[in-house]
Amino acid sequence: MIEFDHVSLRYADGTQALHDVALRVPRGQFCVLLGPSGAGKSTLLRTVNGLAKPTQGSVRIDGIVMSPATAAKLRRRVATVHQHFNLSPRMSVAGNVLSGLLPAVSTTRALLGWFEPRHRAKACALLERVGLEPVHLRRRAGELSGGQQQRVGIARAFMLDPEVVLADEPVASLDPRIAHDILSLIRDAARERGATVICSLHQLELARHFADRIVGMRAGKVVFDGAPDALDNAHVQALYEAAPASGHDGSPQLGAVPALAA
Amino acid sequence: MASQAAPAKPIPTPPAGSRLAWQLDPPFGTRHLLVVLAALAVLLWTGHRVEMDRMVVLSAQAIAKWIGLADESQVAHGIERVAKSMWPPAIEEKVEVARLPELDRNNLPWDARLETQQRIEKRMNLQTLQLEETVERTEYLVRPWGYVFTVALKMLETLEIALWGTLLSVLLSAPLAYLAARNYTPHRAAYLLSRGVISLLRSAPELIVALFFVLAYGFGPIAGVLALGLHAAGFLGKFYAEDIENADTKPQEALEAIGAGKLRTLWYGVMPQVMPQYIAYTLYILDRNVRMATVVGLVGAGGIGQELKGRFDMFQYDHVATILAAIFVVVFLLDQFSARLRARLL
Repeated sequence: MIEFDHVSLRYADGTQALHDVALRVPRGQFCVLLGPSGAGKSTLLRTVNGLAKPTQGSVRIDGIVMSPATAAKLRRRVATVHQHFNLSPRMSVAGNVLSGLLPAVSTTRALLGWFEPRHRAKACALLERVGLEPVHLRRRAGELSGGQQQRVGIARAFMLDPEVVLADEPVASLDPRIAHDILSLIRDAARERGATVICSLHQLELARHFADRIVGMRAGKVVFDGAPDALDNAHVQALYEAAPASGHDGSPQLGAVPALAA
Repeated sequence: MASQAAPAKPIPTPPAGSRLAWQLDPPFGTRHLLVVLAALAVLLWTGHRVEMDRMVVLSAQAIAKWIGLADESQVAHGIERVAKSMWPPAIEEKVEVARLPELDRNNLPWDARLETQQRIEKRMNLQTLQLEETVERTEYLVRPWGYVFTVALKMLETLEIALWGTLLSVLLSAPLAYLAARNYTPHRAAYLLSRGVISLLRSAPELIVALFFVLAYGFGPIAGVLALGLHAAGFLGKFYAEDIENADTKPQEALEAIGAGKLRTLWYGVMPQVMPQYIAYTLYILDRNVRMATVVGLVGAGGIGQELKGRFDMFQYDHVATILAAIFVVVFLLDQFSARLRARLL
């Protein structure tokens, strides 16, 4: 269970990315975050793995508060699937997947790249699970197509048997059919392990299809929270309609997320 | 032909001289002209100080001499004299047997033979007080390709100095780069200190550093290896560190998000990205070290340069010619080799 306990986050430049977000995501739920760019979805996800620190409130994972002291331990239980895959493009697919369990291996093994047989076997099993072929193992990650790279990213995310999977617009740069496959993969792999998924999306259709629950965000606030069926057109319009507060004239806005080093 | 299209309506332009909110200035102005003039004046002044005018005159005289327009040219004379004394390059090595007390006549080196030369000398016979011709026989140990072998051995030493200098610089610069990369340094003091060390190493030219190491370690390759290694460590440290700083942060963020720790993130998120550049820098340093290793030999730091300096000081320009040919061949081969290696690794 992930609990956002009245989380607010204000960046150093004064922009308020999150505003009093209170949510409870129970174990095993597939929770989709919807909302326009700059609504705070990415920031909310980053508070869960500790890459962003709330200025007020706290995030708890299974009752443990995310803090610098607990980050190292908690991060192992939280996997992240990134919008831009964030693989090392020149490293082999196998190396990228194995890097997913770096926190769990000894320094010597990590530096030599000499992983235990059971870890290598696990990497192979996961790569097969996400639909890649044995020939891909030695290929450089950067040589694969976008969809295949995201499959590698998912395999890497599941290397440490996570309890929470964060997916930050995992299909934003993929075509609709592949996007569907990738989301199925994340959902099914998470379900097999009983892992919780929090996934930000821009595609309404996909959100309705995959979500157990949809959280709509706007300007750092939760403005909708409910089952996919409950999200009607009025809600969608309210979520995305252009408002003076989030115009595109380049002036600093309430809730605008500054360009994160992505 | 299709029907005549109506003429396109011209985009309205404001009348000349009108002041607009949008303004695009011409790329050059009076300021640029002044800067160019000032630069020219400085060049003229300093050019005279470094005798560029004299160089032009002397060169013109030399060219005139060679195409037959002038009788005298100091430069042409000098070049011709050096060229004459350099040709033919020294190939064989010839030593008087009298100077080799250890020589075993029944067991000569495989490539050597004994040669006897006769010389007729006129000497005063003290009994008859007459000038007499006597035949002087001198025996030499001749190795027909001896000097080529000597140069090859010295060249090998130079290559070894370059190799070890490069190895030393990589070993020194790797930890320096880690400390001097702003995003990975463990402490700000370590960052400033390592940046300082890198600047210091880079600012000291190899030749001068070698001079001091020759004083400390004596003549020989140690001074060469240390001088090349330390200077290149400064160069590599700076470039390694900057590559770490500029590496794409996306893979690093992915590893940070699962709590991999700094060292592992560096190893898996940064190293695969920067490796091609690292190899390129290191090959460049190897290439440069081979050339510099010949030069630091001039101050006594071992290798072919030391040989060159010795022969040059003894006015044995035929030997110098052999050495220069060897250096040229090696640098040429190295160029080919490193270009090929680079193409394969990157």
